[in-house]
This record gives sequence, C-alpha cells and structure tokens, in this order.
Amino acid sequence: MFRRFFLAALLGAVLAIAGGGQVRAATSLEEGAKAFIDTVSGQALKSLTTKGVSRPERIERFRTLFKENFAVTAIGKWILGRYWPKATEEQQTEYLKLFEDLIVVSYVDRFAQYTGEGLKINKTLANNERMATVFSEITQPGNTAAVRVDWRVGKNSDSYKIFDVVVEGTSMSQTMRSDFGSIIRRKGGQISGLLEVLREKTAEFKKDAGAQ
Amino acid sequence: MKYNMVWTISYLRSLTLPSRAAARFFEFPRFAGLLLAGLLMAGCAATPDPKDPGSVADFEQINDPIEPFNRGIFKVNQALDKTIIKPIALVYRDYTPDAFQNAVHNMLNNLRSPIILANDLMQGKLRRAWDTLARFLINSTMGFGGLGDPAYQLGYTFHNEDFGQTLAVWGLPNGPYIILPVLGPSNPRDTVGLVVDALIDPLNIWLSNTNREEFIFARSGVQGIDERARSIDTLDELEKSSLDFYAAVRSLYGQRRSDEISDGQPGANYPMPGISDNFPGENAPNQDAASRAP
Repeated sequence: MFRRFFLAALLGAVLAIAGGGQVRAATSLEEGAKAFIDTVSGQALKSLTTKGVSRPERIERFRTLFKENFAVTAIGKWILGRYWPKATEEQQTEYLKLFEDLIVVSYVDRFAQYTGEGLKINKTLANNERMATVFSEITQPGNTAAVRVDWRVGKNSDSYKIFDVVVEGTSMSQTMRSDFGSIIRRKGGQISGLLEVLREKTAEFKKDAGAQ
Repeated sequence: MKYNMVWTISYLRSLTLPSRAAARFFEFPRFAGLLLAGLLMAGCAATPDPKDPGSVADFEQINDPIEPFNRGIFKVNQALDKTIIKPIALVYRDYTPDAFQNAVHNMLNNLRSPIILANDLMQGKLRRAWDTLARFLINSTMGFGGLGDPAYQLGYTFHNEDFGQTLAVWGLPNGPYIILPVLGPSNPRDTVGLVVDALIDPLNIWLSNTNREEFIFARSGVQGIDERARSIDTLDELEKSSLDFYAAVRSLYGQRRSDEISDGQPGANYPMPGISDNFPGENAPNQDAASRAP
C-alpha cells in the first residue's frame, strides 16, 4: 500500500520535472528563435537597404545572408519531395545550386526599395522541441497596413536556421514546391526537365544582373 | 508595396462584377458551353498513373482536374491583362496623385462594409462585426462619406469577408480549382460566394431598382483597377521568379483563401520543410509524410 503510494508519488515527481524541463526548453527555444530573427532581420535591413551599393555587391551580400541563416539544403530537398531520391547525386548538387541562385536573384531587389522601419516581432510559439514560429509584422511607409510575416525557425544545439517564410498565410516553401512539382510533372517526371528550366531562368536573371 | 504579397491573389478575386454583370456573365448558354468544353477537355487531362501512389496523391492535393482547360482560360486572362487591364492600372498608379488613389481605395472599402458586416454576422463573429460597423459609421461621417479612413487611427482596422469564406466556415468544401474568365482563380464555392455577395449588396440592389446599373459597372471597374494597381509589383515579381506562373498562382490562391477563412490564425502544422541533413547526424523530427520517399 505504502509502496504503491510511494511509486505513484515518485512517478508524479518525475513527470513534473520532465514536464517542467519541457516548458523551460520551449521557452528558451522561443526566446532563442526570437532573438535569432531579430538579429537576422536587422542585419538584412542594414546590409541590403544601404544606398549606393552596386547590384552585384548586393547580390553577394544577400547570398551570404541566405546561406548563413536559411536551411538551404533542407528546404531544397523538401521542395523536390518525392522526386529528391529519384535524382542522381550530380543532379541533386546542381539543383541545390540553381535553387539558391533562383532565390538570391529573385528576392534581392525587394530589399533595395524598402523604406519602412523594419520588423516588429509580436509573439513566438514553439511547434515542438526543435521548431518554433516567430510571428512578425513588416511595417510599410505611410498609412498602409503592415504585412504579416511568420518565420519557421529550427534549432540544433546553439544554431538556428530559417525553414520557411510565411507571408500573409502564404508559405514560400509550399509555393515553390507546387511550382517546381508542376514543372517536373509537365516534363514527364524528369528532374532533368526541371534543371533545364532552372538553368534558363537563372541565366536570364544573371544576364539582367550583369546589364545593370 | 514591394513587400506586399497580400495582393497577389486578392486582386484576382476582387474584380467582382456585381449582380447584373455577374448574371449577364454567367448567361446560361455561354456558361454552359464553357463548362461543357471544360468537361470535355478534362477527359483528356493528364490523369495520374493509378499504380503510382505518389502521383495519385499529388493529383488529389493539387485539386485541379480540368487543368488543361484552366490553363487555356488563364492564358486568355493574361492576354487581356497585358493589353488592357494592366496598362490602365499602370497609368492610374503612376499618373494620379497618391491621395486620390487612397481616397478611392477607402471609398471602395467603405462601400463594401454592408457585405463584410453581413458575412461577419453569418459566421457568428460578433467582435469583427462590431469592428466593421464601427468603421462604417466612423468613416462615413468623420471620413467624409468614406473618402478617409479615420477608423484606422482609432484602432478599427480593415478586414475583408465574403460569402465564399462564410460557406467555408459553414463547412462547405471548396471543390475543384477553376479559373474564371476575367475574374481569375476560384472554385465552385468561391464562385457561388461572388455571385451571392453581388446579389445581396444593398447598394447594388438600390442602384438596380432605380435603373442606375451603369454605376454598378463603374464601381466594379474602379474596384478592378484599384486592386490591379496595388498588385502590379507583386505579380510582376511572382511571374519573374516562378518557373510555372500558373502553378504558383494556383498554390497561392489556395493558401491565401485558407488564411482568409481562418482570419489569419496560423494553421495547425501545415506542411513545411523539417530539420534534416542541414543539421548533420540528426533525424527530422517533423518532416511530413509527403516529403519522404514513397
């Protein structure tokens, strides 16, 4: 009788400690993710909206920021989904490179014209023990309503990476997954077809970048 | 503006032709003809290989059974946009004063208030209904008949609602993706929503009863140009950065509508990339099933 009670009490204590630990872990994950997004957005704003920087230089800065702070490989793989294992190693390598190029050249110019005050973080919620979502708003100049941007942040030991950016409920990764998937299907399920289109698209951009 | 992805889709939806226009547009023989053509073409749509569970899952998730037909309409819409709608929107955006554009936008939002209020109420969202009512009262008076938006400063921010969202809240499924001529991305549920909103709009009813239909058309036209002008940069960028513009728009439409239906509440665990080999030596804790190899 007493033994059973003792066991139950012990079990309860263990659960309570474990639960408390989980809560603490979630809080520190949330705080870490928030600080991480705060830092990254500050850096991006500072290095990308500076006037008088040439476009090639801005592209390089953006590429560095992107590679450092986004889980590029994980996102790239997820976008390919079930087609990833079907690609050869060389195709995977080329794909990841082209994917990075596409992101860099298509998003870099969005910062150049930005004149708002930056990012305001509203709240952060842990999704599980390793992922958290940082809810933010990007202010716009004038009377225009702020744009809602959610950041999906993953953590490993002390390193944080962005896994997805969700603008007004539309996920960057999800949209690209649909986009790329559609191309692969239209090319008869061939990764080579996607690579062709990606090469064309990024070449077009790179030409633009050189011309300016 | 540069950052504003919001308009990517909302513009396409909100080229709302109110009642008479909609009625004429869906004039039975023409609409039935289109529908029939669509169904015929759906017969030759690329159906998935039933032996490949991955492609069957894709087909169901994409939810676009009449894709070849939709792509046709999409192309026609794009041509129409490039030759007529976008040039007008560009002139409007670049050659009229910002203050004028803001006043027009505020006015259109204010005129939409009764519809938003009705849908707030039909969805049982009293707090939002109150916001809409307060905005309407404040802006119609202090805002000089809706030209200004003083309610915004008083903390009553604008939100949109439509009958498509109401039907979704009531539990009606969206049905397959369709591209409407001129109006763009939709589905049967949202199409019904567009028509119902136009039919129950008190201003439309009054204009129609007093034989002033031309104002209904004018309002639709102005609304279309307003929305298009606001989405120029975003759509240009999307077209530039996407590989398959049609597929990107289709995905964004679905995501945007889910977001609108839930009033921007984050969805529970929507699919996203998980932690994987970017952090070597650890397994993905929340990779969704679809991202694994079949």
